[in-house]
Amino acid sequence: MAEDIKTKLERYKTAPFDSRFPNQNQTRNCWQNYLDFHRCEKAMAAKGADATPCQWYFRVYKSLCPTSWVTTWDELREAGTFPGKI
Amino acid sequence: MAHQAHSYHMVDPSPWPIFGAAAALLTTSGLIMWFHQNSTLLLILGLTSMTLVTMQWWRDIIRESTFQGHHTPPVQKGLRYGMALFITSEMFLFLGFFWAFFHSSLAPTPELGGQWPPTGISPLNPLEVPLLNTAILLASGITITWAHHSISTGSRKQAIQALTLTILLGFYFTALQAMEYHETSFSIADSVYGSTFFVATGFHGLHVIIGSSFLLICLLRLIKFHFTPNHHFGFEAAAWYWHFVDVIWLFLYMSIYWWGS
Repeated sequence: MAEDIKTKLERYKTAPFDSRFPNQNQTRNCWQNYLDFHRCEKAMAAKGADATPCQWYFRVYKSLCPTSWVTTWDELREAGTFPGKI
Repeated sequence: MAHQAHSYHMVDPSPWPIFGAAAALLTTSGLIMWFHQNSTLLLILGLTSMTLVTMQWWRDIIRESTFQGHHTPPVQKGLRYGMALFITSEMFLFLGFFWAFFHSSLAPTPELGGQWPPTGISPLNPLEVPLLNTAILLASGITITWAHHSISTGSRKQAIQALTLTILLGFYFTALQAMEYHETSFSIADSVYGSTFFVATGFHGLHVIIGSSFLLICLLRLIKFHFTPNHHFGFEAAAWYWHFVDVIWLFLYMSIYWWGS
């Protein structure tokens, strides 16, 4: 599967099946992708590299997470009280 | 014909059961008034009446058994079943608290930062005072076995020494735990971590205090020659309870203090 990340993002419809989270409760899936997006952004910025691949995580968490959760977590990050490790 | 033709104990009418029930009601509603309405009157009434009833009820049992001889082998067997069932019910109490702990710690929610211990919580180092407490309770399990053996062989002096040592170890544990409670950087209000930690260890501590009190009564009775080498169920019941308290601590230590850090 040597698919380019840009092609993958163009083909994106919704979050695909992730075998790490096989059950009905998808909370952890949303949480993990939210964390991964922000960690990816932070890491790429630190290296001065292109952050486009990070957009995958962005798309996934946008598809999965309830909007209110995302709003709350964004506010917590702003205030510096976000409990997750980014 | 004035004598019973069986070896069971038909207890004389007594006010303690109903007074005990009333005391339990006063205590439980007293707890609610204290928690929600910041009032301690009902609780104090409840605890006082509970103390009075338990002291008088158990005093009556000692009178009936040690002084009047009503505790024949079948009666004692019934008491053994009773104590075993009671301890089993207490085991279920702790099972509930362990369930709560594992429910929250095995799948920590985003609010906790998806990790256990939650973000911002600095747990106690399990290799410091908690490890000492483990050693203390294990040692007390040994000393109480020594005491039991001494009672069974009629070694009065050794029995008194061993039981006294057991009680002192129990007090030492309680004192150390109280100091630990004072020293923690987190309180019961600090997320589900605080709740599970203090409710589980708190109920355990309460049981240590109850167990120590039971042992203390046994010591007084031992000194007053109540026990014989073959008949000392009051002491055995206390010993069972004490071992149970020790086992609960071991599970607490392994799961909450050690794995949970």
